[in-house]
Amino acid sequence: MKTMIAMLVTLSIIGVISGGGLAMLSSWADPLIAANKKADTERAIFQVQPEAKNYEKVDAVSYELYRVLDAGSNEVGYALPWEGNGFQGKIRMMIGVTSDLMTITSIEILEQVETPGLGTKITEDPFRGQFSGLKADPQVDWVKGVPPTKSNEVQTITGATISAKAIVAIVNDGLTNLRNDMKEGGVK
Amino acid sequence: MKKQVSLATEYTKGLWDQNPVFKQVLGMCPMLAVTVSAMNGIAMALATTFVLTFSSLIISLIRKIIPTQVRIASYIVIIATFVTIVDLVMRAQFPELSKALGPYIPLIVVNCLILGRQEAFSSKNSPFRAVIDALGMGTGFLIALASLGGIREIFGSRTLLGIQVMPDAFEPWLIMILPAGAFLTLGLMMGFLNYMALRKKSREEEEILSRHLQQSTMSIAKGQEA
Amino acid sequence: MELILIFISAAIVNNFVLAYFLGICPFIGVSNKLSSAFPMGLATTFVMVLTAIVTWLIYHMILVPYHVEYLEYVSFILVVASLVQFVEMFIKKVSQPLYRALGIFLPLITTNCAILGLALFIVLKDYTFIQSLFYGVGAGVGFTLAISIMAGIREELELANVPKSFQGAPITLIVAGLLALAFMGFAGMITV
Repeated sequence: MKTMIAMLVTLSIIGVISGGGLAMLSSWADPLIAANKKADTERAIFQVQPEAKNYEKVDAVSYELYRVLDAGSNEVGYALPWEGNGFQGKIRMMIGVTSDLMTITSIEILEQVETPGLGTKITEDPFRGQFSGLKADPQVDWVKGVPPTKSNEVQTITGATISAKAIVAIVNDGLTNLRNDMKEGGVK
Repeated sequence: MKKQVSLATEYTKGLWDQNPVFKQVLGMCPMLAVTVSAMNGIAMALATTFVLTFSSLIISLIRKIIPTQVRIASYIVIIATFVTIVDLVMRAQFPELSKALGPYIPLIVVNCLILGRQEAFSSKNSPFRAVIDALGMGTGFLIALASLGGIREIFGSRTLLGIQVMPDAFEPWLIMILPAGAFLTLGLMMGFLNYMALRKKSREEEEILSRHLQQSTMSIAKGQEA
Repeated sequence: MELILIFISAAIVNNFVLAYFLGICPFIGVSNKLSSAFPMGLATTFVMVLTAIVTWLIYHMILVPYHVEYLEYVSFILVVASLVQFVEMFIKKVSQPLYRALGIFLPLITTNCAILGLALFIVLKDYTFIQSLFYGVGAGVGFTLAISIMAGIREELELANVPKSFQGAPITLIVAGLLALAFMGFAGMITV
């Protein structure tokens, strides 16, 4: 019986000290972690909307969305974080789009686990650069092996077609969602 | 009475003789997962050493008052607490590194090296010795992770610690960054190190043998003279 | 359909051992005989499924509502250790020969990073309860697959002339590397 008590007491004391210590550390760490996350999102927003000076979160939609403003607090467009499946795993990106949701200002890849040297080219120019000022009317299309002829086309990456097509699919998917909500007047 | 091991040996045994990765084959998961670059490997090793050292210290301090039936559970809680500390501090102060090492930081909890050390050493030695042992093991772990990380980084990305060391003309071996490359490189490394160790051992044995041969030849010669 | 994809992804495309480096210790240590590797895989799968269920419940019903997410690692590993203890007692009662066959390997499941890794990934990926279930089964099947294939190969290797310095861990790692290369062929199976 004595050992049972000793066991319980020891474990309880260790548990309490551990829990208490972690609680204190957590209250110090949590605000910093949140600030880091905010800084990351902010960096991505300004990356995809070079004209931006300020932004505000749009609460009217169920997903993360930011309205981007210029120095005069006029609306310049939107920054939409969106994700989907790539070749090796999840791809998460930030899509910058004009207010009419028809032209992409730029894209920024936030998370990806594509094949190094091949699929990872989606994060580099020239592939990424194709999206700056790209028309998404009615949607973004891809072409393979030849330079794009229309203003809403991008060329896939040689040897990494699937990764490239995944990016196009995610962009279209995100914009479609946004346009639906806009139509229903939910975004304003 | 236990043979008294010198403090210096207590530390150095972790570097080679009982190197956690190359000799004890422990800590394989992080060894393969985060060694895409030397910096990641070093960071992981430092985090692991932190957890190992402080866990060993605490557990050694309270080793006499923990009932044996709950010792494993206690070790686990203490280790997990320090891992949480490392994780929180990293996410708050070093977000880039935290993202690079990802879920492998919490996996330090199940690094058999740490639990193994508590069971084998900290629970039976003074706090000072336990800390020295932990630091030695940690250093050995650091050497292993840094070397594999360095090799993979040099051949897979042309850089070492972020600085380019290979000429642009060198086409990086992409396989080095992929899981397959980790397995293959580590397998080759361990095979090579074993080979060197075996060669050294057989040379030493040869030397001892030839010395004995010389001595017996000399005593036979002396005997014949007499 | 999505659930099937989660299962296949965990078992093959993103195999826990060959793609995420989880469960390496038993992978190297227990894979020398198929007769011990396969039961180890099954036991691990069993613990994984239970772990997926219990840790999901603990995270979503206790840790989050009470804002104590920082207790994730401590609580999860205690869950794994307890589950392994229970499974051990259960097997001992139900099948003595199986208990003796698995021997020391059972308690070692606790330190199998694949189990804790599974619990952590489920939280990271924010899976629902059903998704976690399929993910746990897939991960276990993948682990069993990897360790069984490895055991089969190693049994063949016994008849080959492996240089002394490469016997044991080194040759196993090299074989694992080749297996990882082979499994890379599955990438891209699960895209949109």
